[in-house]
Amino acid sequence: MSWASATPPGTQPGYVSYAHGNFATSAPHPFATLQPSYSTFAMPSPSESRPRINADMVPFLAATAYTPVPVRQGFGQPYTLQPQYAAYANTTNPPPAPAAPPAEPQQQQQKIDWPDKVRSYVQRSFESKNMLPDVSREEMEAKLKETISHAKDAGIMYTTDWDSMPLPRSSAAASTEPPARATNHHNSKKRKSSDFSESDPSTGNPWRSNKKLLSLSDRISQPPGLDSKSLKQAEKAENRKQRFNTAEYKTYRSPSPPPPTGPILGTCTNLEKNYLQHILHQTLDLLKKKWRKENNYNYICDQFKSLRQDLTVQRIKNEFTVSVYEIHARIALEKGDLGEYNQCQTQLRALYASGIKGNAVEFKAYRILYFIHTANRTALNDAIADLTTADKEERAIKHALEVRSALALGNYHRFFQLYLDVPNMGAYLMDMFVKRERLAALANMCKAYKPDFKLRFITEELAFESDAEAAQFIIDHNGQHLLVEREDSIIFLAGNAKQLFETARADAHRRVDLKGQI
Amino acid sequence: MDSLIKEFRAAYADQLGNDLAKTLTPDVPNNAAQLMSVWESGNSQSVKDDLKFLFVRDKSARLNMSSEEAVGWQEIYYSYWKALGEILAAEGLRKSRVKVRDHPNQWLIVSLVSPSEPLSTSKSPWSINKLTCRILTQTSWTSVYEAWKELTSQIIRGYTNHEFENWTIPCLYVAGKYMRLYAMRADAERGSNGDEMVTNFQDDFDPETEKHKSLEDCARQLNRIFNLCLSDRAPLSESRKWGIYYAINLLFKTYFKLNSAALSKNVLRVLSAGRGDMPDFESFPKSQQVTFKYYEGVLAFLEENYEEAERHLTLAWLLCHKGATRNMELILTYLIPCHLLTTHTLPSAKLLAPFPRLQALFLKLATAIKKGDLRGFHQALQEGEDEFVKRRIYLTLERGRDIALRNLLRKVFIAGGFIEGAEGGAQVRRTRIPVAEFAAAIRMSGGQDIDTDEVECLLANMIYKNLMKGYIAHERGFVVLSKNGAFPGTGV
Repeated sequence: MSWASATPPGTQPGYVSYAHGNFATSAPHPFATLQPSYSTFAMPSPSESRPRINADMVPFLAATAYTPVPVRQGFGQPYTLQPQYAAYANTTNPPPAPAAPPAEPQQQQQKIDWPDKVRSYVQRSFESKNMLPDVSREEMEAKLKETISHAKDAGIMYTTDWDSMPLPRSSAAASTEPPARATNHHNSKKRKSSDFSESDPSTGNPWRSNKKLLSLSDRISQPPGLDSKSLKQAEKAENRKQRFNTAEYKTYRSPSPPPPTGPILGTCTNLEKNYLQHILHQTLDLLKKKWRKENNYNYICDQFKSLRQDLTVQRIKNEFTVSVYEIHARIALEKGDLGEYNQCQTQLRALYASGIKGNAVEFKAYRILYFIHTANRTALNDAIADLTTADKEERAIKHALEVRSALALGNYHRFFQLYLDVPNMGAYLMDMFVKRERLAALANMCKAYKPDFKLRFITEELAFESDAEAAQFIIDHNGQHLLVEREDSIIFLAGNAKQLFETARADAHRRVDLKGQI
Repeated sequence: MDSLIKEFRAAYADQLGNDLAKTLTPDVPNNAAQLMSVWESGNSQSVKDDLKFLFVRDKSARLNMSSEEAVGWQEIYYSYWKALGEILAAEGLRKSRVKVRDHPNQWLIVSLVSPSEPLSTSKSPWSINKLTCRILTQTSWTSVYEAWKELTSQIIRGYTNHEFENWTIPCLYVAGKYMRLYAMRADAERGSNGDEMVTNFQDDFDPETEKHKSLEDCARQLNRIFNLCLSDRAPLSESRKWGIYYAINLLFKTYFKLNSAALSKNVLRVLSAGRGDMPDFESFPKSQQVTFKYYEGVLAFLEENYEEAERHLTLAWLLCHKGATRNMELILTYLIPCHLLTTHTLPSAKLLAPFPRLQALFLKLATAIKKGDLRGFHQALQEGEDEFVKRRIYLTLERGRDIALRNLLRKVFIAGGFIEGAEGGAQVRRTRIPVAEFAAAIRMSGGQDIDTDEVECLLANMIYKNLMKGYIAHERGFVVLSKNGAFPGTGV
């Protein structure tokens, strides 16, 4: 696509040169002087000439064209990487130099390397068919200025898909300024004007009352990898969209309800991240792989939260959502991050309750174990009341209920047997309270047994991995004097230890750290 | 409407709060005809005018009422009249038959929104159908709830803005009582219709909350009433604080229904903070005392503070009216498990005799505990599981197993018989009992195998919980029981 064909000489729009001139003087607002050039048709203009884009501008533009930058800032516009533009930018081969010195637009007669897409975009905006009677040119220009300067500032001038960029008129129309009479642009020969012929400006702007919808559409990006063929189609689609009313938009936007009134802040710094579901699936796969490979919890937790945020913002509540929460919950469990786990668990409960399939049994069992850990009797009661008869036959839930029962009855023997054989990842939860229960069991044994017994008995009863571990546990609780060596084994003087472990038990049971956040 | 206001004036003149509240009671089952006549006494505008006349301009009444207060009552009765329209429609008492043009044989039963909005018969059947649908959905319990909520707000405003005196507080009771009922009916109706899958914008959405939308809202309104009573700083004789226990009891009921009994704790906290300025608990009506003590007891029960629970529940039990079988039943549902844990005693047959439901709930379990029948206990617990879990007594009753086990071990001890006392003294019980004997008993009674270590664990528990006195000599494999009172409180 060459410049010449894209922009007929007779209609070489003046705004480009003005933009250029303005770049030099006040860079962030390339359209500050745009209006005078257009006003040649409507009002007295300070400029009768239509200077071309100055070549001096090229470095400025090109310098930004190479910089990879965050794309989705503020969800402003649907910028998509366009490989062919990158190539184009390369061929122009601009010397990386500072911005051109200030110059009066009227005096700039040199060519400038504006992307022709930008040119045509601006041009299209001002085509009579696209103009709305009650949107003033000033408003349009202000909007254009904002859009293009944003693209420039973000360095995505060349990567933006200008062809599918929504025209600025709608936002302008939605502005509160009193509408001014729009003037028809004399040029309608610019590409495929027939495409616009059906549009009827007199029907008014269907979007005027739908700023929300438009602003949402602004946020949706085109799927990446559009080639020039599909660009054409995209253009057609764009035109169609503009011809029809807002209902059209409903098919265009993702199946999410209108955005909330508050701002949505994005943190994504990934160039290619698409705001659609399929990319979230890929994200999940990627995160799973990364977790296996790198095992960096802080990173992965952060990523999962971001993923969850995306799901929330898009109001996606389906089996995929469930699996995201389930995986995050499992990872949090593995790392003992109970705070995060509990968030996931709460969401999961609601998701299952609304009928979405998942591993409900597994998580119902965790839930019981979790409430055992937090010693939340009321919640535990409720969790049990939630179970169906079928649930109670499931191995994981049966196990969790038996754990609860064993603890309620003080049957530590049974409890530690259950501890050695936990389905799924319940062991991570049981790890949380096993120390507490060991102390309880020891307090119990110390009161009931006299005068002593072998340390091995504790090792076996309280599921320690070795005598050494059991001894260490006792020593950790200041019980070294209770261990004596007799013949070939270590003896635990249970009869003397009553008070020591009773106190330790009471301490351990008094407070449960509910958050357990990392 | 005139007759209603007549009743109002009579009650007002004698300052009879309950009579006054009666004029605002939509007791449809017992009073349908009268309520209908109130509703049919006019349309929206005429009722408004009538009320204005009766309360403001009619000087014949000569009630000692400020004009401020009169305006308050006037608005209350207008809200009441509107709510009544919704109630009668939702109850299906207010129906008109509309003949469908073009379909002469078809009659539509239409509940009218209000008499002032008659259906036009000139409409096409289609539009009548549409209108019908609209009307039918409008006269749902949800709109009854909304209308009644409006009335409640008016009454609350009466106290905050219109100088209502505290003897009129029964009006607040009626408002709160019916608001809760209507909220539950509204929720039930929405649930059965299965509609209203409202898009939820919350991150932490909860289908439970959706299900109880009206009742959740109701809880907030009741909280307003609670605060209205609590915050009154007038001297006690004129204070609205006399309404506080009624409001609290309604709140408790609502929170329990919403499965958020924990919120009741906040109420208790606020109450205990302001207890100094409150009238004596004993001077409130007994019915309010009983309900309050019952809930206070159940709350402690849920937190496993059984001793505190027992105190409250016992008080509720003693205060409870002897004819209130249902209430006594409820109190006992929690008091019995409490008693089992704190005093290790079981309900007598005599106590349970008047309550067949409680017999079904507890009798089997009690028998098993008494006999030390572990298997029977397990079975009884399983059979009643759903009911126990629903009433949140399962976890407590489960601990009755300890008592069953204690009774079993006691039998072993007694079966051990006597041995010669030392130095030819009197016979004494055998106190050294092999663990194997206990193990055999547990296997027999429980009907399943159990290894010696677990038996020791159970025995250790008995000792730890002071159900059995003695110690285990692990290496030698027997238990040495105390010579005096091996099983405290059981006579041996």
